[in-house]
Amino acid sequence: MRDSLYLAWRYLHYHRAKTLLLVLSLSVFLGLPLVMRAMSAVIQRSLMARAQSTPLLLGKKGSSLDLVVEALYFQPKAIEALTQADVDEIDDTGLAQAIPVRTGLMARQHPVVGTTLDYFSFRGLEIAQGRPLATLGECVVGAKAAKALDLNLGRSILTSPSTLFDLAGVYPLRLRVVGTLKPSYGPDDRAVFVDVKTAWVAEGLGHGHQNLATADGDVVLKRKDGTATANAKLVQFNEITDENVDTFHFHGDPTGYPVSAVIAVPHDDKAGVLLRGRLVNDLARQLLRPAQVVQGLNEQIFRFERVLRIIVWTVGLATALMFVLVMVLSWRLRADELRTMTRLGCSRWKAVQIMGAEVFLMVGASVVLAAFFGLVIAHYGETWLQNLILRGS
Amino acid sequence: MIELRDVRFEYAQGGFCLRVPELSIPAGTRAAAIGPSGSGKTTLLNLISGIERSEAGRVETAAVRIDTLSPSARRSFRITNIGFVFQDFLLLDYLDVLQNILYPYRLHQDLRLDEDARARARRLAANLGIERLLQRCPGELSQGERQRVAIARALITAPKLVLADEPTGNLDPATKLHTLDLLFEQCDALSMTLLMVTHDHGLLDRFEQVVDVSNLGKNPPLGKNPP
Repeated sequence: MRDSLYLAWRYLHYHRAKTLLLVLSLSVFLGLPLVMRAMSAVIQRSLMARAQSTPLLLGKKGSSLDLVVEALYFQPKAIEALTQADVDEIDDTGLAQAIPVRTGLMARQHPVVGTTLDYFSFRGLEIAQGRPLATLGECVVGAKAAKALDLNLGRSILTSPSTLFDLAGVYPLRLRVVGTLKPSYGPDDRAVFVDVKTAWVAEGLGHGHQNLATADGDVVLKRKDGTATANAKLVQFNEITDENVDTFHFHGDPTGYPVSAVIAVPHDDKAGVLLRGRLVNDLARQLLRPAQVVQGLNEQIFRFERVLRIIVWTVGLATALMFVLVMVLSWRLRADELRTMTRLGCSRWKAVQIMGAEVFLMVGASVVLAAFFGLVIAHYGETWLQNLILRGS
Repeated sequence: MIELRDVRFEYAQGGFCLRVPELSIPAGTRAAAIGPSGSGKTTLLNLISGIERSEAGRVETAAVRIDTLSPSARRSFRITNIGFVFQDFLLLDYLDVLQNILYPYRLHQDLRLDEDARARARRLAANLGIERLLQRCPGELSQGERQRVAIARALITAPKLVLADEPTGNLDPATKLHTLDLLFEQCDALSMTLLMVTHDHGLLDRFEQVVDVSNLGKNPPLGKNPP
């Protein structure tokens, strides 16, 4: 067998280009269904785990899937916002803990999530370095975001401007990193967490500027009845520091400020049922169980996967037939070699063994390659594919 | 060394029949097989080597009744007792010269590829003047060099008999004579019997025995070459 393997190896090595092509084709044939199946299972599991850990989600009426995708997985879907009053209303029922989630802002391709400290304990997120959020302008970053953005304690990150060409629009806010999270292997790893009030400041709903009482006269346009009107020279702060934090303030009624969704954590099952009963006929809002929504999404993925599997097997069959054809043609071209073997004294069985060794080596290499790529894809591709599915959902 | 008596052979598809009433080639002889195309020269080599099996008669090669052996025993006999040289060399382009010479050792468990075999291959290559080509592939060699590699492959197992089927047919005149000299030299040095098919009647005076295959059934088959 050693001699057969040696001759097979030398043949394959001599015809490396052909061998490589066949091995790659076979790897795809062998690897794709396995990778697809494994990935699909992992993704469905991880999507479902996230949804199942979120008992109830309150949002505006509209696509329930978009609401879940944006509030749980932080994929922007431009959902209509609730208000802080809705958060207060859930809290006031005494049936559930209300955790606001404000999404929509980004910081260098990573979602900025405005919430409260309750979110961290609810999700079981632990601080790896630093401390939790304490004041305005601070952020805590997920493990992957910290690595990708090279963010350590004391560094800062700017929110991405949402209106690039609108000079009067909202300017980026510099967020100070006060903590990084331990990996949780979910969407939280990619997020930059801020207090919901900081999110409102970043959106331009609150701001800080020079104290008009002590500012130069040329900054003030007019003073009347204790109210000062400033001109464009007034210095506005784009970073909240210990020195200027007191100058930050909101105008208008804070209960009208937006939150994208509210995670409602009922105190018990009965409280959950009662809460759902109260909101079941609400015309403007929906209180849903994310697990049910994700179950629907998973069923869609499963249906899609079934179709994809048929396509993959068809392509695989074509690849296998092509492989057989190439091998048969190759052996026919090597008829002289086979005849020489026989004439020298080689048995048919030995000749078959040598040819078999070629197939064995190629299939072996393909299996190894498929397994390698499978592992790489399973390791690095899960988040990518999860994002792809959620973005396209 | 080679004894054929009352041999009859016909291919399954018909159309050709070889009859050999009697043929004898003593050990250590340099013999040439001649005859027009289609007269059965290659078939005769196939019968002597056991690649084909006669329908009737007796074929004895190296004191073994090869016509009575099983296919497996004939293969084993062939690889250990007979060396082949072909007109178109039939070297493997994916093996270097050294591995081409050692090729028979890869084909049968009766031959053991050890350091002795490798040393013999190097010695043979040196004797045939191809020792500097051992790491090259056949595609990089001239016709004459390829045929010398093929001769080395035929001799590597130290066979008792060398069957050469027009080994100089593809060579230019100068290379042809040189290759033939080398083949004779090696066969003599190792006391091997040589039976070589050739169309080149100008070479016949270099053989001790000439077998005219077209006359095997008609005239006395065995004849010493006139000096």
